[in-house]
Amino acid sequence: MGIEVRNLTKSFGSFIALRDVSFTVHSGELVALLGPSGSGKTTLLRVIAGLERPDVGSVLFDGDDATRQDPRHRGVGFVFQHYALFRHMSVFENVAFGLRVRPREQRPTEDEIKRRVHELLSLVQLDYLGDRYPSQLSGGQRQRVALARALAVEPKVLLLDEPFGALDAKVRQELRRWLRRLHQEIHLTSVFVTHDQEEALELANRVVVMNEGKIEQDAPPGEVIEKPATPFVSNFLGNVNLFHGRVQVEVHDEEGRPMPMELDGERSEAVRVIVGDRVYVRPRGNADR
Amino acid sequence: MGAGVAAVGRVPPKSTSVEGGPAGRVASRPRKLTEPRLVRWLLTGLALGFLGLFLLLPLTAVFVEALRNGFGPYLDSVREPDAVAALKLTLLAAAFAVPANLIFGVAAGWAIAKFRFPGRTLLTTLIDLPFAVSPVISGMVFVLLFGRQGLLGSWAADHDLRIVFAVPGIVLATIFVSFPFVAREVIPVMEAAGTQEEEAARVLGAGGFQTFFRVTLPNIKWGVLYGAILCNARAMGEFGAVSVVSGKIRGETNTLPLHVEILYNEYMFQAAFAVASLLTLLAVVTLIVKTILERKLHS
Repeated sequence: MGIEVRNLTKSFGSFIALRDVSFTVHSGELVALLGPSGSGKTTLLRVIAGLERPDVGSVLFDGDDATRQDPRHRGVGFVFQHYALFRHMSVFENVAFGLRVRPREQRPTEDEIKRRVHELLSLVQLDYLGDRYPSQLSGGQRQRVALARALAVEPKVLLLDEPFGALDAKVRQELRRWLRRLHQEIHLTSVFVTHDQEEALELANRVVVMNEGKIEQDAPPGEVIEKPATPFVSNFLGNVNLFHGRVQVEVHDEEGRPMPMELDGERSEAVRVIVGDRVYVRPRGNADR
Repeated sequence: MGAGVAAVGRVPPKSTSVEGGPAGRVASRPRKLTEPRLVRWLLTGLALGFLGLFLLLPLTAVFVEALRNGFGPYLDSVREPDAVAALKLTLLAAAFAVPANLIFGVAAGWAIAKFRFPGRTLLTTLIDLPFAVSPVISGMVFVLLFGRQGLLGSWAADHDLRIVFAVPGIVLATIFVSFPFVAREVIPVMEAAGTQEEEAARVLGAGGFQTFFRVTLPNIKWGVLYGAILCNARAMGEFGAVSVVSGKIRGETNTLPLHVEILYNEYMFQAAFAVASLLTLLAVVTLIVKTILERKLHS
């Protein structure tokens, strides 16, 4: 399903979170909303989900105005920053929740619910944890349960708020790859919010850079780096240098973190290795070495 | 006299949480950081002595006095019709007050913890009003409102409703004084739970009622139960407010605490203590249930 956002403005008291924001997400795309905290990216995501009502502007799903539609009827899956799992329910019941609260005539049978939940839990590789409670899971496991729960209602759009923000570096890497694979498999229109440029550049088809409630640039990852539209974008993405040349190796240490590489005699860290002929490199802030 | 129950009712809810045995912690600390042994013994002794003098001794005295003439007279005093009527009325008042305040408390807690609206702070303050106002004044307010010359009194008289000096007045006064307990227990629990789970439920397709019963309520259930127990203790033990609105008609508008006072004033000490022991037993049961719930709440 495609999403279109038109002229959104939203303020909380005297704080203006969104200023006349417009952009489009095409069906099947994976779009990143990238920006510093307070830039309005989470508000934008919540407006799309229907959790906030905009002061001005509209949200369209496949061309239909959904601005005033209740979130429960929008058909969106939402993964919250801190997962918001139902703490008094087992993992199984968390995932089954969206199916159980359906109106009686649309509700699947108990056997059908069981089958669907197990299917989703194996998709996120957690089938063996169905009886556990959220407090007994690690951060990465909770994240995957939240994802399975969001997918259980067969949403037409998946919205993720800082999906990897609260995880340690290694788990983050794994989940990132896993999410990209998942997106390649099911082609669900997805929008995720992040303040981590690496995450945005590595995962997304398109990056929407936001600052102070406005969109600074809306472009594919390569273009955001090569042709930053505003000084803010080039600043926020940091000192990324573009090197031409084919790189075939990604270097990681034992824990899966990217290893510092030597390029042109400068100690630096590979940010993204594109299969092709471009390498984006950002030097570490350690000039004397 | 009913002091056991009243005391339970007035304990501020949070101060009862146990901090994991301070004595044990002191012992495991390095020597330099603890007080000299003499000071420790002195302070522990002082605390225990105080506890015994002001809590255990009166509690024991109630039962000793009640059983002074043996078990037979004790049973007679407890089975006496006026005492039974008082017990029934006390339980009736609590049976109205607890559910009413349960519904009100959860609703108020929900509004205060989950929403921001004008007058929110005022509502939070108003909830504590029955704590701040003396119970006698609370009772007077109802007499002034529903009495013969009261604002609503003539209306009630026109409709043949007896409120003051009758059971409805006692129920109203009991509801009023036991009103903050559930709300005060529920608000912090709800605030800690936040609104994210409710939002998640909504996005997953749950309606308002489904969200409340499947997500909100299970998260606060121990807080609600704990509040209900404190509310119940206060409702059964209330003396001041009920005393003003009751009129103290024996067998009709006498609650247990009032009945104890009447017996005592008539020099029927043994009977007074026997009835008081009923209230004390109710208080002890309440405390036991409260302790069990507290363990659940903190685990």
